[in-house]
Amino acid sequence: MAKAAEPVAKAPASKPPAEELRSFLIGLGRGAAGALLFAVPMLMTMELWELGDYTERSRLLVMLFLNIPLLFFLAHQIGFERTFTWRQAARDATIAFGLGILISAVMLAMMGILKPETSFTSIIGRIAIQSVPASIGALLGRSQLGGGARQNEPDEGAVPDHLSPNFARELFLMGVGALFLNLNVAPTEEVILISYKMTPWHALATILVSIAIMHAFVYAVSFRGTHQIPEGEPRWHALFRFTLPGYVITMLISLYVLWIFGRLDDTAASQILMSAIVLSFPGAIGAASARLIL
Amino acid sequence: MARPQKTRSRNAPVSKPAGKGTASTVEWVTGLISAFIVLVMICWVAWEALTEVEAPPAFAVTVRERQAVEGGYRVTFDIANASSQTAATVVVRGEIVDGDTTVEDADITFDYVPGQSKASGSIFFSQDPGSRPIRLRAVGYTEP
Repeated sequence: MAKAAEPVAKAPASKPPAEELRSFLIGLGRGAAGALLFAVPMLMTMELWELGDYTERSRLLVMLFLNIPLLFFLAHQIGFERTFTWRQAARDATIAFGLGILISAVMLAMMGILKPETSFTSIIGRIAIQSVPASIGALLGRSQLGGGARQNEPDEGAVPDHLSPNFARELFLMGVGALFLNLNVAPTEEVILISYKMTPWHALATILVSIAIMHAFVYAVSFRGTHQIPEGEPRWHALFRFTLPGYVITMLISLYVLWIFGRLDDTAASQILMSAIVLSFPGAIGAASARLIL
Repeated sequence: MARPQKTRSRNAPVSKPAGKGTASTVEWVTGLISAFIVLVMICWVAWEALTEVEAPPAFAVTVRERQAVEGGYRVTFDIANASSQTAATVVVRGEIVDGDTTVEDADITFDYVPGQSKASGSIFFSQDPGSRPIRLRAVGYTEP
């Protein structure tokens, strides 16, 4: 199969227009499917509708703005079409954000959450807050559901590595994975409730378990051969080079999501830390598995 | 079947030169900074675990704003919890007091008042308390 695809891969421009349109529409369909798959848990979470109503507009704006570079880099890594240029990445990111907004709006309307009597601010807020995970899902959908299509495209150097590094890339993907699971979990009241129920001893255990799970994933990934721990390198090297930076990124993403959702307001530093530790547990799983999935 | 093989072949030539050069230094510096941050966090939580005093929630209610609104009178207040323990379903009762008698009272329930944190809320009275004092106090809570 890979052999047959070779000529197409070498010269993607020579595709007949009809086929190009078809593959674009398939990509669009996969994006929509991905947006649905990833966003449905959030679309059906009551707290997230309410957050759409009352989240501070300035924070919502920050979230939407930060989503643009995030989608852009993500598109560059995995994209609808495997992207070669930043222009194509920008196009894919725009399409993903558009799909995310559209699908959020349609789904919310279908479930009767957007009604004519709902205030305009609420409608915009509810759609906006859902569009972020949905748009990430639209981009991920391609890589999740489109395994076959990937083989049509050249693998060698498809993602230019001139921005160095696989290291930066890995940290970025971990961040996206953490953000994704955080957005799923953070809106629920359980996150803060758990942080109230936990004693500092529970928190300590949670930190250690989160790091251990992440580290286990690092090994799973290295066994699969998608990333490079040179043979013969002591095992604890990976802990410093991937696991701990990954966990710190997960913590930062957790704090960011908690701040967006207003969970940190008027809260003591130790309580902030507790809720960040709680949210970093699912975040760590998301971050670690992102390196497997993406 | 074909995929892992392919990815491996993609990474092999790229990773070797990057691993030896600057990337490796960057990775180690990032790693050490991260290790430091995680260690500080663990020490902080451990310190809290060791020094934590099992004091029950203690509330202090302070009036922040009194304002006449349509059809009544609004009193906005902060409730601070000085203990490290969080309280749930905290009921705060506001009373307008005239001498020994309570002229009007109103209740409000907070879902949570986290430890060492504060929450704020408002109570509506149907009448302007004027110069009569307003008494605000927490009347109960549950453990979360």
